[in-house]
Amino acid sequence: MKHFRNIFLVAMISLLALSSCLTAVTEEPMQDVVEEVNLLIWDQFYRPEESAVIDILNREFEASHPGVKIEREVKVLDDLKLTVKLALSEADGPDVSQVNQGRSDMGELVKADLLLPLNDYSTKFEWATVFSTSVASRNSFTPDGKTFGQGNLYGVSPTAEVVGVFYNKGIFADNDWTVPTTFEEFETLLAEIKAADVTPISFGSLDGWNAIHEYSAIQHLLVSQDYINDLTYGVNNVSFDTAENRDAAQILVDWAEAGYFTEGFAGIGYDDSNNNFKAGEGAMTITGSWFAPELMTGTDQEFGFFLLPGFSGKPTMAIGGVGVPYSIRKTTENPDLAAEYLNWMISPRAAELWAVAGMLPAMSLPEESDVKVETDNLFGDTLFAWETINKNNAVGHYIDWATPTFYDTLVAELQKLLGGVSTPADFTAAVEVDYAKFLSEQGE
Amino acid sequence: MKPQTHRRPGESRWKGYLYLIPAFAVYLFFTLIPILETVRSSFYDWGALGKSNTWVGLENYLSLLNDSTFLKAFSNNLVFIIFYSFIPILLGLFLASLLGRFPIPGFTFFRTVLFLPQVISMVVVGVIWRWMFHPTTGPVNLFLGAIGLERLQQAWLGSFKWALPAVGSVGSWVQYGFCMVLFLAGMQRISEEYYEASSLDGANGLQQFFFITIPELKSEIGVALITTIIAALRVFDLVYATTRGGPGESTLVTGFLIYRTAILNNEIGYGAAVATVLTIVILSLSLLIRRLMTESTDEEA
Repeated sequence: MKHFRNIFLVAMISLLALSSCLTAVTEEPMQDVVEEVNLLIWDQFYRPEESAVIDILNREFEASHPGVKIEREVKVLDDLKLTVKLALSEADGPDVSQVNQGRSDMGELVKADLLLPLNDYSTKFEWATVFSTSVASRNSFTPDGKTFGQGNLYGVSPTAEVVGVFYNKGIFADNDWTVPTTFEEFETLLAEIKAADVTPISFGSLDGWNAIHEYSAIQHLLVSQDYINDLTYGVNNVSFDTAENRDAAQILVDWAEAGYFTEGFAGIGYDDSNNNFKAGEGAMTITGSWFAPELMTGTDQEFGFFLLPGFSGKPTMAIGGVGVPYSIRKTTENPDLAAEYLNWMISPRAAELWAVAGMLPAMSLPEESDVKVETDNLFGDTLFAWETINKNNAVGHYIDWATPTFYDTLVAELQKLLGGVSTPADFTAAVEVDYAKFLSEQGE
Repeated sequence: MKPQTHRRPGESRWKGYLYLIPAFAVYLFFTLIPILETVRSSFYDWGALGKSNTWVGLENYLSLLNDSTFLKAFSNNLVFIIFYSFIPILLGLFLASLLGRFPIPGFTFFRTVLFLPQVISMVVVGVIWRWMFHPTTGPVNLFLGAIGLERLQQAWLGSFKWALPAVGSVGSWVQYGFCMVLFLAGMQRISEEYYEASSLDGANGLQQFFFITIPELKSEIGVALITTIIAALRVFDLVYATTRGGPGESTLVTGFLIYRTAILNNEIGYGAAVATVLTIVILSLSLLIRRLMTESTDEEA
């Protein structure tokens, strides 16, 4: 116990030293805040590696803002989603909270006028240089909460995500397989892997949601970016029942029928499937970059990551986006301080800490830094993939944001499609019913 | 149950109700008011944060009738009654007559082991059975493979044909222990003389089971029916922990639909309407079973 306390003490002292250095470089130390101010923050970074990043950032923020005390409350995302709606309407609710993106969460809160529009702060802190418009629109709504993707900015996201292909480097090397550069090459590779009696794509659809990524990753290679934006934000009256969406469904069904997915995938959960992949079963798996930190420890296998390659001659677009954003409660007594906190959570310093923890920051890494970020590894691969789509303006969307019930509909219809109960045409038609219903209700 | 004898003449009975106030207050605030509030919400188009409530009368209920998702979920609940109620009661009767009538060594041990599933939290049960049903490493498929029945191996929880029976049979596994213990307790009450007398008259074990054990256990069977049917209608945790209603809608149940509609998709009014319908169905079924049970008991008396 005493030993532990000593370590803790040393850690605290070094942190204090570190943060006092930082105070020196922070441009505008808050002079006007001298009295004690408590800032209540809710976030969902509950995993130990994530939580450590936030703790360091919070302590550094306190050090550079004398008199400010941060009270942090950590919740898992499901719990946060359930409680934050009521909490933000209370006078003693969190000053700053992470709020899940999309219509059913952030949209509802905007509709109820519970979130502070951040446009002025965005100008003041020049957030436009931190995030592209495509990223900012993911946290934007019109003030009535009805139109997603435009209007006021209501949140800033510190982390980023990209959906792509994880591959087992050992299995690839043993069989002389190389990372494909076109979709055609990718499909040839799938056949080769299958012929070598290895599972090409480790997959389990029992939990449902990851089948959306499996399908939509292919869809993103067939449709235009305008289409995916319109579909997600519910503008320009697009339809889901299109030839491209049917083709994507057909490819997915072909893969399932050719045995490219784990045998019995319909009865395997997401985590089980990932554990098998981590243990060396299956040559590849298609999922988001959030899986990378888990693959970097506790396994003797070596993994890499690449974007699902585009059809030859067509641009590559990938599902991606930024993580759960921080928002400010409209009725907070300290809006300026809360905005400073948001600005700190998306600072180069934060980017650096996230990168060290193996997670993709939504912000660029500082050009010069004492902290060495290891990029000659799986994290480097995911960082490269994210930078590629960001640079090429090819960041797609999670299509389940499109309507409040799209997630349930997509999960159920994809299970039917993969279970052979429905055809690609049935699939796009059934999903379109949901989408058209939503559009007509929006129009009312 | 004896009439009160210590009450002095003229003293008000009403005093007794004072003692009920604390319990009634708890019941009022944690049961009655939430139920009434749910019923009230069901007449509104009620969004997540209550700012856009509009009175829509019976509209939520009318759309329920045409909602194929709701009808599918409700019909799945009816299938669940077979697995949650009928099978466990039959199994419970069978096991109780095995364990209860003839003293066997290790009786307490068997009773405890067979009752065990009932004590485990449903979410844990779900996690256990997800593993049991795993297509490649799960004991169910491994066992089928070991006895040469490879062709019966399935992705149980992911199969459109087998997911509902698979989840249902987990329900049977949980419920039968409760039925068994209930029947065992009831059987201790049956006088041994009935069995003796019937043996002298030449009745065999099967006849004794049908003409002595089952009629004598009538009230226990009634209790078992009510509790297990209620459990089948309100099932949520098991589905949540195993399939989340999938694949497609093949294991979707009303309880999960309420959670999905009201909590996840913010349609609180519509979710409340589903919940109200479910409550009414449960209440009327319980009343019906109780009626049937008391009537048949009265006849005998």
